Amino acid sequence: MEKAKRLFFPLGILVLGLAGYLALGQYTLPEGPGKDLVLAKCQACHDIGFVARERLSRDRWDGVIDEMVLRGLKITPEERAAILDYLATYLGTQPPPTPPQAEASPAPKTGAQVYANCQGCHGPQGEGNPPTFPPLKGHVEKILQAEGGRAYLLLAVLYGLQGPIKVEGKEYTGVMPGFAWLSDEEVALVLNHLAGWGAPQGFKAYSPDEVKAARAKALSPEEVLKLRQGLRLP
Amino acid sequence: MEKVDRRTTLKLMGMGAALLATGGRGLAQQTPTADQLVKGKNPKLIVLSQRPVVMETPYDLLASNPERTSKEILYIRNNVDLPGYNTVEGASPQGWKVEVGGLVDKPFTFEASELFALPQTEVTMVLQCSGNGRTLYNPRPSGNPWQRGGVGNVTFRGVRLKDFLAAKGVKVSEKALFITAHASRQGNAPEFVRSVPIHALEHALLALYMNGEPLPAVHGGPVRLVFPGYFGVNNVKWVEKIEFAEGENTTAEQVPRYRVPVIPNTHLPFLPQEPGKRYPYTLQNSRPNWLVTLNSFIFAPLEGQTVEGPYVRVEGVAFNDGIVPIVSVEVSTNGGRTWHQAQLATQGKAFAWVRWRTTLYLRPGQHEVMARAWDAAGRSQPLDGNIAWNERGYEYNGVMRVKFTVA
Repeated sequence: MEKAKRLFFPLGILVLGLAGYLALGQYTLPEGPGKDLVLAKCQACHDIGFVARERLSRDRWDGVIDEMVLRGLKITPEERAAILDYLATYLGTQPPPTPPQAEASPAPKTGAQVYANCQGCHGPQGEGNPPTFPPLKGHVEKILQAEGGRAYLLLAVLYGLQGPIKVEGKEYTGVMPGFAWLSDEEVALVLNHLAGWGAPQGFKAYSPDEVKAARAKALSPEEVLKLRQGLRLP
Repeated sequence: MEKVDRRTTLKLMGMGAALLATGGRGLAQQTPTADQLVKGKNPKLIVLSQRPVVMETPYDLLASNPERTSKEILYIRNNVDLPGYNTVEGASPQGWKVEVGGLVDKPFTFEASELFALPQTEVTMVLQCSGNGRTLYNPRPSGNPWQRGGVGNVTFRGVRLKDFLAAKGVKVSEKALFITAHASRQGNAPEFVRSVPIHALEHALLALYMNGEPLPAVHGGPVRLVFPGYFGVNNVKWVEKIEFAEGENTTAEQVPRYRVPVIPNTHLPFLPQEPGKRYPYTLQNSRPNWLVTLNSFIFAPLEGQTVEGPYVRVEGVAFNDGIVPIVSVEVSTNGGRTWHQAQLATQGKAFAWVRWRTTLYLRPGQHEVMARAWDAAGRSQPLDGNIAWNERGYEYNGVMRVKFTVA
């Protein structure tokens, strides 16, 4: 016991020291069935690193989900089972199973698939969820029409948004997390998916390179809010 | 417009299939640093969570400020973020209303700005997250991976709640066994409610200042209900309602969170668990993280340091719940076979940490020093902190060990 502890301790300190210095952005969810559901349900309140850094037994994940339900998480029994399976398999105490070889060339993602990250709050069709989560359908179009709106929309997705805003005459004061952990392609896809609900004449599709360029300077969600206040939104 | 579909985007991507294996690689520099998340914080703080905001003081920064922890480096553990309050600047007390009610003869509401005209009391106290040291448990409990930097020694100034009630001519009923405080819900913040035993009324403070400056907004300004000797979570930030109650509140912050297993009304500080197991927390089979557990930290030497010998200065701090004095801190360099008394800087009861130091005569080579504190109630620290393993990793107070080299 004493020997094991002596071994564990310096090792532990080393590993933990390292882990502590890695920013949360280092943690992303491993690919696997149920991942999109986990993203949709957990991100309403947490940055996903919060979830992705854990390694718990099925039993303890079960307890975590119970606690979240107690705090207002809404899930059907089927969703609950799928989420628990994902968490216990991919964020469990054992390393996750290696994906089958067929995964070597994954099917290209679509914007609609990436939108799974957003619909937990903004709704499957971008209809929003007042009083906390504003709608995207109709509103994104107005943002894209405003001068500087295109750049702002990209930054809001990358770095999140925090503070009081007005959308379609309604006040919202939620907090949106940043999605900097999505790949450049994924961010471009999802932005173009939003633009698909309405965009001004001559709208140029977002490109992954544009997303890459926007990563050069990290903003806080409150700095993004200042940008928004500078837009002339109707 | 119909051009922006999947095909266009793919074309833009040079028809390359999106390989999405590692979204997080190389993003470390791009996630916001502590100062970007909270205005005025030292960028070296370790961000454990962006939402809610949780950041830890790097241990060397904590140790190099042994007298007091400044607002720039003090850890943050928010359960709730108030929009616009992510700054170490103060927050306006104008129009900030606080309700006082429950089992009192005359419920009333006051404005935070009223408090400034009343007699002020100062208390220097240890503010510590009950999850501090969580990563030292094995297997890893769930929750923010605190090392040891979820703690600070700060001076709060404000109005004693007891005096304030007396000044208002308000009497608390004998039936009131708990004080329940609610944090503000402004900006759609989720609810945050905590209860502490009525015993805590003795020293409770409506804090307006921290370290002689307006209480930082991120640390609960304009007004925070502070209970010296109690773990961080009980010191409700942005307080807007104080109730005197017969029972503990039953929101998630009170049960199942922030509790450790116990056998009710026994002297055992916690009921040992088989590490890795779940526990069905109820009000009856567990107790909240209330009184700060006795603990000591080694501030010098630091882990992995090389120091000049043969005389080596070992120093650090020790603290408890302030109910009885710390009476001794002892250090060992032979794995606990023999112990050597350190000198305490101050005597007597304190909510602040007490500094201790000693000089050891050590040969050149590798050493490991341990520190263990005792208080007048005979309480001490387990040699193996894992004895207190609990599902959520609270209240770690195992003896600290530091490996260093004597040149």
